[in-house]
Amino acid sequence: MSQEMIEGINPTRMELLKLKDREKLAVKGYSLLKEKRNALIMEFFNILERVKGSRENVEEKLKEAFEDLTTAQILMGDLAVNKAAMSVKESIELDIDSRSIMGVVVPVRDSTSSSRTVVERGYSFVDTSVKLDEAAKKFEESLALIIELGEIEKTIVLLAGEIESTKRRVNALEHIIIPRLENTVKYIEMRLEEMERENFVRLKVIKKSMEME
Amino acid sequence: MKSSIAVVADADTVTGFKLGGIKEGYVVESTQEAEETLTNLIKEKTAIIIITEKIGEELREVIEKFTKSSALPMIIEIPDKSGPSDRATDPMRELIKRVIGVEMVK
Repeated sequence: MSQEMIEGINPTRMELLKLKDREKLAVKGYSLLKEKRNALIMEFFNILERVKGSRENVEEKLKEAFEDLTTAQILMGDLAVNKAAMSVKESIELDIDSRSIMGVVVPVRDSTSSSRTVVERGYSFVDTSVKLDEAAKKFEESLALIIELGEIEKTIVLLAGEIESTKRRVNALEHIIIPRLENTVKYIEMRLEEMERENFVRLKVIKKSMEME
Repeated sequence: MKSSIAVVADADTVTGFKLGGIKEGYVVESTQEAEETLTNLIKEKTAIIIITEKIGEELREVIEKFTKSSALPMIIEIPDKSGPSDRATDPMRELIKRVIGVEMVK
C-alpha cells in the first residue's frame, strides 16, 4: 500500500472530521460503482451469448442471396433486374425502442416479421425470373438477421464503453482515492496525539519548575 | 417509434436490398461520396444504415464518431458480393477482449 496522502492538509480536528466524511462518501460510492460494474458485466455476458455465430449467419445468408441475385442478373440481364428493384413499393418499416441497462441506453427492435408476400414486392411477374423471387426472399431474410446483428453489436459497443469507464472509476477509487484518504486520516490522528503528548510533557515541566521555586 | 432503413453500398448490393424491400438505397462510388451520403443520412435521423465492409473500413473514424455514444443510428457493416473480407482483427472481438480482459471463444 502506497503511503501517499493529500497535500496541504493542516492537522486539525476540523480537517479530520471533514476527511472522515469524505472517506465515508468515497467508500459508499465505491461499493455502488462496484455493483454497477458487476451488473454491467453480467449483462455483457448475456449479450455475448446472443452474438455467438450471428455474424456468421448473416454472412452465410448474404452469400446465398448474392448468388441468387447474380443468377437472376444472368438470366434476365442487369437492366431488367434493376427495373424490378426500382418498382419495389415501399421500405420495410420497423419499430425501434430503447431500453436502459444501468443508465446505458441501448436499442431494442420490436420483432415484427419483415417477410412479405410475392405480390407485395411490387414488380411484375411477366418479365422476371423465378430466381429473382428467390433473391428477393433471401434478401428479406438476411435483412432481418442484419438488423438483429446490428442491435446486438450496438449494444455490445455501448455496454463495453460504459464498462470501461465504470471500471476505471472503481479502480481509481479503490487504489488511489480511498488509500490516500485513509493515509491522511491516519497522519492527522497521529499528529494530534503527538501534539497532546507534547502538551502533556510541557505541562509536567512547568509544574515541576513551579514546585522548585 | 417508426424508423427508417437505408443502404449505402455498391450497385449490386443496393439492387439486392431494394428487392428485399429497402427503398432508400444509395449507390456510392468513392469514399468521399460515401462520407457525404452517410452524414446526410445521419442528419435525417435514419435509424439503421447498412454499409459494406469496404466502406466501413475506409470510413472507420467517421462511423465511430457517430456510433460511439448514442443508441441510434445503428450502422451495420455487411460483406458485399465478393464475400466477407478477411480482417486480421475482428473489431468486436478486440473490444470484448479489452473489456473482459481475457480472450473469449466466440
